Amino acid sequence: MSDHESVRQLLALSAAGLLDAGEERLVREHAHECAACAAELDEFAALSAGLSALPAPQPPAYLLARTTMLLAAEADRRQGAAFAGAAAIFAFIFVLLIGQTLRIVAGDTAALVWLLWAVISSVLGAASALVLASRRRLERSIV
Amino acid sequence: MIYQAAIDESFPVAEPPTHAARLRSADPAALAETVGHYQHRLYRYLLRLVRDQASADDLFQQTWLHVVRQLHRYDAARSFDTWLFAIAHNAAMDLLRRRPGESLEDGEFSLPARGPDALSTVLAGERAAILADALLELPALCREALTLRFEEDMKLEEIAEVTHAPLSTVKSRVRRGLEAMRQKLRKEDIL
Repeated sequence: MSDHESVRQLLALSAAGLLDAGEERLVREHAHECAACAAELDEFAALSAGLSALPAPQPPAYLLARTTMLLAAEADRRQGAAFAGAAAIFAFIFVLLIGQTLRIVAGDTAALVWLLWAVISSVLGAASALVLASRRRLERSIV
Repeated sequence: MIYQAAIDESFPVAEPPTHAARLRSADPAALAETVGHYQHRLYRYLLRLVRDQASADDLFQQTWLHVVRQLHRYDAARSFDTWLFAIAHNAAMDLLRRRPGESLEDGEFSLPARGPDALSTVLAGERAAILADALLELPALCREALTLRFEEDMKLEEIAEVTHAPLSTVKSRVRRGLEAMRQKLRKEDIL
């Protein structure tokens, strides 16, 4: 590839300011002697200036409020999930402690009944929480 | 003495919270501040990429939701701008790949038809509109590279980070995009 052709490949990138110092010097020196490349470089420079000055499209007025609400709802959901997780761990430890106490005080049968009752009520409670959470999510998506 | 103490470098000055810190809080005002700070730039980038307002709106919200969910992965040593635009890039590319007839790399470049007296009637505003139309006609990855370079004023390395592409590929996209626009605008007697 001739010098002229190899420099021509760099003209667009020169106008875009993406050449290193050595390449940029090569382009400038060549354009100083080559009228065709100088003209092409001017056109790329005009095009680059035009692109930099394009007016920015305005985002719709509702977008900021809608996005902020979405993020606040997400933060709320995450806080709720963290709280539910902590409550579940606390309840689990509580059930085990009561079960152990009942076993010592009233025997194995009482502890077993307590654990069965705790498991059944926990499963029902978790199912209700899931239904409520999915309904809430649906309501948010409709709004 | 008092004034000297006030300008002393060791005098403790509270730094404003970073965008990441604002997003971690559930405070709507803090969230709105960060989203508002980036809304024009991010919306422009997405609109240039997907070319329709409804998709840009959806992607804008999707990007911020993803940012909040992935905040634990954000490395504070890196630029928040670049990280944000990289997430927006991924969301936009997913959409464009699913869109039938959309060309990411290659594509026939054609300007919308103009009247024969275009050159004589081109005023500054109209010229900008023609340029914007021409930009939107480029393949997606070329117009993304040009948007990030000229509208976002990003450096080569930043564009490479946003688009997950090697430096040589970014250069090639910028060059091909500019050359295609120049040829087409010359044909239309606009350059």
